[in-house]
Formats: sequence, C-alpha cells, structure tokens
Amino acid sequence: MHANPEELELKDRLNLIESMIAEGRRKTESWGWTFVLWGVAYYVAIAWASLGHSNLAWPVTMIAASILMGILISLRAHKDPETTLGRAMAAIWIAMGVSLFTILFALSLSGRFEFHVFVAIVGAFLGCANAGSSIILKWKMQFACAVVWWACAVAACFGSENQVTGVFLVAIFFCQIVFGIYGMMREARKQRQDAAHA
Amino acid sequence: MPDLPELNPVVHGKLRLALLSLLSTVEEAEFTWLRSKTGSTDGNLGAQLLKLEEAGYVAVEKKFVQRKPQTLYRMTEAGRGALTEYVQALKQLLGGAMTG
Repeated sequence: MHANPEELELKDRLNLIESMIAEGRRKTESWGWTFVLWGVAYYVAIAWASLGHSNLAWPVTMIAASILMGILISLRAHKDPETTLGRAMAAIWIAMGVSLFTILFALSLSGRFEFHVFVAIVGAFLGCANAGSSIILKWKMQFACAVVWWACAVAACFGSENQVTGVFLVAIFFCQIVFGIYGMMREARKQRQDAAHA
Repeated sequence: MPDLPELNPVVHGKLRLALLSLLSTVEEAEFTWLRSKTGSTDGNLGAQLLKLEEAGYVAVEKKFVQRKPQTLYRMTEAGRGALTEYVQALKQLLGGAMTG
C-alpha cells in the first residue's frame, strides 16, 4: 500500500518541523574551560599570597582572570542566538561574580579582610551559583559541587587556617579543575554526536 | 465525518515553516544564523521573512553591533499560535489520512 502524494507532503512538513526544532536547539557553546580557568586562577592567587604578597595576589589575579576570560569569550564568539536558558545561566554567574567582587573589594578596602571570612564567602557564593545552575540544568554532578562549596564555607567558620586552606584547595581541585575537565569532555562528546546526526 | 482543517498557507511554505520552527526554539536570531540553518539564499530568505513579518508572525529589529549592521528576528505570539495551530491541523489531517 502506497501513501498518496498529499499525505507524503504532510509527513514531509512534520519531519521538517521536527528537524528544524532539533537544529535550533543544537548549541556550540562550551563553558567547561571557564571552570578550569578560574580553578587555575585561584591556585595562582593562593600560591602568590603564600609568598607574602597577599594584598596584591587576590585582586590582581582575579582581575587578570576576568580580563582573560572576557578576551577568550570574545575570541570564541559564535552566532548562536540567545535563549532563555542561556540568559538564565549567564544571569546567575554574572550576578555571583559582581556580588563576590564587590564584597571582597569592600572588605579589603576596609581592612577587615580575613582568610576564614574570605573562604566562607567564596564557598557560599560558589555553592549558591552552582546550585542555581544545577537546578536549572537538572545536573546532579553540579549540585554535588554546590554541596562541596557549602561544606567548604562551613569548614571555614570552624577550622584552623591550615585546615581551611586544605579544604579550599581540595574544593577548587574537584569543583573547578575536575568538574571543568569533565564538562569539557561532555561538551566535546555532545558536539561529536550532533555532528554525526547532522 | 468531521471537517478536516485547512492548513494556513503562510505557515505551509517550506522555508517559512522551517523559519518559524527555528525561531520557536530561540528568543531571537540573526539573519546569518537563519541562513546557515536553512541553507537558503539571502534573497529567498529575505523574501520569506518579509512575508512572515507582514503576517505578523515575526518581528524584526535592526541595530548596529560594533559598527556592523545586525538584523534580529523574533517570533511573535501570533506566530507561535499560528505554528501551534498548523501542527495540530497537520496531525489531524495525517490522522484522517491514515484512518481514511
């Protein structure tokens, strides 16, 4: 039994809608590298501060990392259109970055900057941003990172300086470096799958 | 036998249908992105987008970004409604064709 031409045309239209919706949702974005970049920046700042330049280490490294990220994003600029999901994600991370920078800058200006407070604030803010992002993306692995950051923030309230430093280094390693590399691998696999289906 | 629905001729055009489907997935899209996704020529794409704009299914915004002209297209509520109705009508017709 053969379908008539009109029926074939209707099916063709339905297939066209499905394929165009899939095409529109295909993204070339990759954000795993930003986690790695910031993880490395934190390590550089910690190492620099441990050499006795704590006043300069954090602000200079953070500003340098922000500028570097801005340059890399502009170099990687693509023509993917804006989506509500993309804007929601950007909103979370931009809001976190601005809040973190503002409060840490104010603390250092006031002379009330203290390592435990610093780690507690960074842990709480990164926990908040990772949790928000993971809930939107329904990504359990990122929520696990949020829990690690919250644990780090709590530990900063109770631990000694050495203990807090250790916890902070471990949190950076797992939630920035390892998670970032995992994210990059996931994105690369997704792009290969999309290319295969194209 | 129930009356079969008619398909909206503005939406039914192959390229216009592709454009509305693409625009339904994003907030707004550049002309160049739509061209790359549909593989259409500039002239044909511009003409079909104009028809969609005249029907009120697509809104256009022209602006300059870093001194370069940029044309952004956004699906309107009317466009979203028209696409939804079209898909429903299509499914109804296909259902009718399969049982008929």
